[in-house]
Amino acid sequence: MEPKEVKDELAALLVSRLKFDPARAAEVTFDTPLPKGVDGSIGLDSLDFIELGIAIEERFGIVMDESQDLAEHFASVATLCRFIAERATQR
Amino acid sequence: MLKRVVVTGVGVVAAGLVGGGQTLTRWLAQVPSPPSDHAVDDTLLAALMDGVDARRASRVSRFTVAATRLSLADAGLDDAGAAGFVLGTEHGDLHSAIEFAEGFLRGGPSGVSALAFPNTVMNTMASAATIACAAHGPALTLNVRTVGGELAVARAAHTIASGRLDVALAGGVDVRNPTVDATLAELGDAEMRGEGATVLVLESLDHARARGASPCGEILGAAWRGLPARPNGVGHRAESRAIAAALAEAGLAGQAITWAYSSSSGDGPRDAWERALLVRALGSEITVASLARRFGQHAGLGALRVAAAAWSAGSGRLIDPPVDVAPGPGLVHGIARGGTHVALVVGPAPDGVAR
Amino acid sequence: MTGRRGRTVVVTGLGAVSPFGTGVKAFWQGITAGACAIRPITLIETEGFRSRIAAEVPGAVGGSARRARADRLALTAASEALDDARLSAAERRDAALMVGAVGGGMLEVEAWYWKRWRGAREHPDAGRERPGAGRERPDAARATLPTSHADVLSWRLGLEGPRETVVAACSSGAASIAMAADLIADGVVPRALAGGADALTRICYMGFNALRLLDPEPCRPFDRERRGMSLGEGAAFLVLEDAESARARGATLYAELAGHAMTTDAFHVTSPHPEGHGMIGAMREALASAGAAPADVAYVNAHGTGTAQNDRIEARALRAVFGEGGVLVSSTKSMIGHTMAAAGSLEALATVLAMTHAVVPPTVHLTSPDPDVPFDCVPGVARAASLPAAMSNSFGFGGQNVTLLFRAC
Repeated sequence: MEPKEVKDELAALLVSRLKFDPARAAEVTFDTPLPKGVDGSIGLDSLDFIELGIAIEERFGIVMDESQDLAEHFASVATLCRFIAERATQR
Repeated sequence: MLKRVVVTGVGVVAAGLVGGGQTLTRWLAQVPSPPSDHAVDDTLLAALMDGVDARRASRVSRFTVAATRLSLADAGLDDAGAAGFVLGTEHGDLHSAIEFAEGFLRGGPSGVSALAFPNTVMNTMASAATIACAAHGPALTLNVRTVGGELAVARAAHTIASGRLDVALAGGVDVRNPTVDATLAELGDAEMRGEGATVLVLESLDHARARGASPCGEILGAAWRGLPARPNGVGHRAESRAIAAALAEAGLAGQAITWAYSSSSGDGPRDAWERALLVRALGSEITVASLARRFGQHAGLGALRVAAAAWSAGSGRLIDPPVDVAPGPGLVHGIARGGTHVALVVGPAPDGVAR
Repeated sequence: MTGRRGRTVVVTGLGAVSPFGTGVKAFWQGITAGACAIRPITLIETEGFRSRIAAEVPGAVGGSARRARADRLALTAASEALDDARLSAAERRDAALMVGAVGGGMLEVEAWYWKRWRGAREHPDAGRERPGAGRERPDAARATLPTSHADVLSWRLGLEGPRETVVAACSSGAASIAMAADLIADGVVPRALAGGADALTRICYMGFNALRLLDPEPCRPFDRERRGMSLGEGAAFLVLEDAESARARGATLYAELAGHAMTTDAFHVTSPHPEGHGMIGAMREALASAGAAPADVAYVNAHGTGTAQNDRIEARALRAVFGEGGVLVSSTKSMIGHTMAAAGSLEALATVLAMTHAVVPPTVHLTSPDPDVPFDCVPGVARAASLPAAMSNSFGFGGQNVTLLFRAC
């Protein structure tokens, strides 16, 4: 999958699973940070990341290895898209 | 020696009425005709959601936060601090429970929403409100049919009267739910249902005086008991120990009370039982008012009745029906199917500190 | 500092239904044997979920099959407690009733909802209910609410005092005991029945799975390798009484409920305050309300769910209050799982029994101690110990903290 496709799917998940306003989700760019407390981020906390993880597993058929620290992949839209795109092609 | 308990703040979210003490007082003084339906206009709450995770907060939690913030502002308090928080509810966040269940039924295990799960436990509204208002004292969510608001106010008033807390926020909340309405309609339940949240700030009189707060009323007596009844049933006993205990606490005889706000809501047998209890304790001349016809029954009404009673005790006017009564203490009473009943003797603000 | 407020509150009756079976005796035998009641789930479907075990109450739960399971658990435990306290009908009438509940009759309502939802999908034309189907719904629809237990208990057991159902997530069963104690201490009632009940529900099971908080294997509280909670179900009730009134009628006094406290983290819907401020506050206030010092407490029955986060923060809070190694600690959840609204009351029961028998129940599955938990957590085997005072903690989901402090009579 191309990162741009992944980004669009992610935006859809922000709406369907994380209850973001569609207008807000549409504004999200590759540079947008994800975690709460970071300037310009969409403000996701631990509960949001759990939900997002479930949604990504389901939508992209990826299995997340909980024994690994995946925090770096969830830093921004760009890192997350890369993470997903890499694993989605490995299947 | 029991401490005196006063009401120093009110926040109301109800059909056709959203605001704090001043809004309520203006409304009580010139009661408009009842709204056409029992739904709350959500757009009126937007300004009260600052800093609240509105994205994840369900409607019932937003109502609770709004009413809590309105009451704190009315009381002149920046945040709740060590205040207790007691919230009554009948259905909690049922909407989220249904949404959560349907996530699984539609999508299997990966359709289950971790986000919605915390909302399926009834203390989610109190959780949202205590976070929004930085309240660190004991937080209790009380579940009961019909009398959630009255029960919360009674428990909170007692906790202050006994000296355990100086300040407590107390009230109730429920939102309309189509599944509940449909199921109850099919069961032949005739109760008029509505939605909303009302939160009161209760305080010891000493504490209120010390910080220069102006009470709008006083809780002279508060008691709650159980009357024998089948679960979801209506009982037969007409003697209320709760009314007796509340009157005793207030140092008043039954004849001294000439008016009451009741939890009458269109549920015929339950309403009849309540009437029998009130007549037995206070005499057949008792004037009984009810707000359920106007707003629809929801747990917030019990607290709203207390605020209305405080105003009536001072002004000598009831609402629904709009009649004149002798100023002075009155009763707020509620009884649920199954027998939980609550009685509160409510008086005007103590002399010298009234608004 | 402040001493006791008002009347002395004592425990005069005990009742329970636990994953070890019906009765206080079965519960005590199970937890002192260090047995594990966490097994593959039978009550609900578990296909596709990561953790598929729980501590279910075994066998038939007494009472009419038309009643919700949680109502039956509550009724069985409450009946035992009242019988144990040997209260007359008149004494029951004056008793307050405080019930901690979360799920209510959700298990049965879920079954009805699942069936209706799936039936409509499989047979879209059968949307109309068959005649008489509405009659199934009254019990299901009305028994859903947590308040149902209190109404059933009052009706069946003849209780007419103040009645409340408190929903405080995982602290419900302890909050009810604290609320009852206040009414007795203040002289509102001479006695109370207080406790909690919860049956396994699909919502709870699926939710904790989704949050990744459940260990696929039985939980290992305080162990370095712990990976999450286990679920459980059950009910426990205590009869609490004004000490003078209890002595006058010749009641058995199990322990004094010397102090208690309730605080709220108001931090996050699912995570506790990272430094355990609310937990520390609850423990310190409970000690103060009893006029006790940390050194007086010999044993703490922990919340101890077995999640990485809870146990770490709880240990930190315990260290702040008691100092490293300053008290024996154990988690009953290691054996019966997290029984939700019943947890606070089953664990208060375990604490009272520990004091009366002078035996501390163990933490099982504890094989590699966690350096972040600087306490003797009584691994594997129950320990004989004289306990002049003991504490029971419930630190609920999202920061609802309740501490109960018991003292030997």
